[in-house]
Amino acid sequence: MNFIRQFVALLRLSLSSLTSRAGAVLTIIIGVTCAVGVLVSMLAMGSGARRQVLAGVREDRVVVNSHGVRGIQSSIPRDAADTVRDLPGIKKGSDGKPIVEFESVVPIEARRRVTGTQIFFPLIGITGAPFSDADPDMHLTGGRLFQPGLHELIASNPCVRQFTAFGIGDKRAIGGVDWTIVGHFDEGDTQQCIVLADAEILMSTFHNNTYTQATATLQSPAAYAVLQSALESNPTLHLEVQHEREAREEGIRLLDNLLNFAAYFVGSIMAIGATLGAVNSLYSIVDARRREIATLRAIGFGSAPVAAAVLCESLLLALPGALLGVLLARALFHRMAVSPFGFSFLLDVTPGLAVIGVAWALAMGLIGGLLPALRAARVPVTTALRAT
Amino acid sequence: MKYLPLIWSGLWRKPGRTILIFLQVSVAFALFGVLQGLKTGVAHAVDVARADLLIVHSRLSSIAQPLPLGLLEQIRTVPGVKVAIPVELTDGTYQKPDQGIGIVAVSPEPDWPSAFTYTIAPAYVAAFRKSRTAMLVKDSVAQKYGWKVGDHIPLQLAVEQRNGSNGWAFDVVGTFTDSDIGGGRYIVLVHYPYFDEARLLQKGTVNHFNLAVSDPKLANRVADAIDARFANSSHETKTESLREMAQSSLQRIGDFDFLIRAVVGAVLVALLFATTTMMVQSVHERTPELAVVKTVGFGDRAVFLLVLAEALAVFLAGAVCGLMLATLVLPFAARFVPGLSMPGVVIIIGLALGALVALVSAAIPAALAARLKVVTALGGHRAA
Repeated sequence: MNFIRQFVALLRLSLSSLTSRAGAVLTIIIGVTCAVGVLVSMLAMGSGARRQVLAGVREDRVVVNSHGVRGIQSSIPRDAADTVRDLPGIKKGSDGKPIVEFESVVPIEARRRVTGTQIFFPLIGITGAPFSDADPDMHLTGGRLFQPGLHELIASNPCVRQFTAFGIGDKRAIGGVDWTIVGHFDEGDTQQCIVLADAEILMSTFHNNTYTQATATLQSPAAYAVLQSALESNPTLHLEVQHEREAREEGIRLLDNLLNFAAYFVGSIMAIGATLGAVNSLYSIVDARRREIATLRAIGFGSAPVAAAVLCESLLLALPGALLGVLLARALFHRMAVSPFGFSFLLDVTPGLAVIGVAWALAMGLIGGLLPALRAARVPVTTALRAT
Repeated sequence: MKYLPLIWSGLWRKPGRTILIFLQVSVAFALFGVLQGLKTGVAHAVDVARADLLIVHSRLSSIAQPLPLGLLEQIRTVPGVKVAIPVELTDGTYQKPDQGIGIVAVSPEPDWPSAFTYTIAPAYVAAFRKSRTAMLVKDSVAQKYGWKVGDHIPLQLAVEQRNGSNGWAFDVVGTFTDSDIGGGRYIVLVHYPYFDEARLLQKGTVNHFNLAVSDPKLANRVADAIDARFANSSHETKTESLREMAQSSLQRIGDFDFLIRAVVGAVLVALLFATTTMMVQSVHERTPELAVVKTVGFGDRAVFLLVLAEALAVFLAGAVCGLMLATLVLPFAARFVPGLSMPGVVIIIGLALGALVALVSAAIPAALAARLKVVTALGGHRAA
């Protein structure tokens, strides 16, 4: 009880004299602000990429790939398509047909608008009608849909913004054939360039007899096991099924890990720097108050409350830095479009990241305050009082 | 020179503070070194990339669109082409799913290593030619898994054999090193003819062709000639030198330039602020001492320079230490980010930046020290 009373009195005393030590206080706050701001901004890349990739994921949708292969290397022979459609567990649409869509993906090159840099983006051939799915985020913003059987493309709006030759009516030579852009569409917040075409005409252009992957809607999430065992028991198919969420997370994992590694690597080094600055500032605060602390000790304050008060002061000084850092990151970088490694998305400063930033700052305050708190607790009463 | 002891004693007046500033500067410049090394290292990699090695891949994509093996004969007839070797790529794993290995299938025709950046002992090249299931492993792979010549290694490949199995096996006949930093860390070389014959799907196709030209100056002309030959066919090609490919990967990380600048900027701002307040504090505490120094005959300018020199000493020592640290750390970081290296120019920029930050952060305290009035400073205004 006595400890708490002394601690509160000491804390109030030191906080009331903060303004006279503006330099040291600002050093701590600015150091923590920079460290937290950089960490949160860099983590926002990973969370932005994840948010974009996982947007519109449905729990009852599954992805079928060839066994052990992912993405563009996967292949489903055309003659296996009917077998896949007839697999158990797949939901039937209002027309009585199973809801299974096949995709044929071909990477195409494009040139950046500003720099002229070459970049690859997927041209996706689809078997169903685009946007027919209950996906309200995806809608046409200009032109019309492509017609099956014609060399026509529709491109998402990020393509138009980022790359050349995606205007409506523009022609692109792909696979030795001229394709015409006939429409533009938006897909939520997605910054990735996506171009859609009719799967049949795309596959015939490339003399390709395999789809890349299939997406199916399940009767219920529980039907997953039924579909999985049906696929496994059919040795001629060489296919495997994954939840849509799982498949998409797998696709982003490498980028996500890389971005998070970079964020924590840079964030840790900056935190070490900020902690060192905080230690130095707190030492100078403690040193400037040696006589004050010695006087308090002389009139009966214990060394434990003195140390606790310094530690608490350090934590309290780190907090405004954390909030400032998170706010700056949000104000400057939230929803900023970036494209590292050719993958475009919006940065996303989420509340979760703010919590990480605050926790990071508190760790800096705690570690930075330890040594100065010990020094304050060990101020020798007699010599400190005698010193002029 | 005679001022050195004075600077030295000034630095060690409060050892704890000086060491903390020194550490802070070290940390800041270690980060600077790594980030700048990332940027400059890639630029450096472009300069050393071979201009006389060409890659012929599909115009559609260098990643996944296969080319028919049949193009090889036509490519070989293009004037200036010295060696042309078909290359197929696939992924594999060894024992565990997370132990990935890149499989590079090449045709072991005479003189094939000259079309690659690999360095292989002649005895291993000869051994590789002899057996269809032979495998050459990169030194890093051999080290990681302890494979030795004569070992029979089972691998799980993304490609199925004709019997529907993904299990393959190859015999280690030697090791090689790769001078191309972007070439993949864990790769092995196997026979393309055997691989193609044994696989179930996509027979007779390759990922790309590796070419060596007889004269690097011909590289552009050879590349244009090859692409012109297949223009408007169903398999349009795009031929690039390794140098050009390195350049385009440099542009791809262009977005990181902004990020690196922003981080380095934030680091320097925090550092500048921390050191300025510390130096001001230090000058305040040393008011009487500085007054004594002035009394014995040091001019305002000499005191100004003295404080600047102290800051410069700490900063340069910290910058050197930090950059050395970065040089030591880089080989580890290079595991995650290929192409990381620390050319001398980064160290020079770092030291210059360290001196600049030192001068800027010491300017205010040094001016305070220079403007001290001896009489008032000696007259009891201690430890303000």
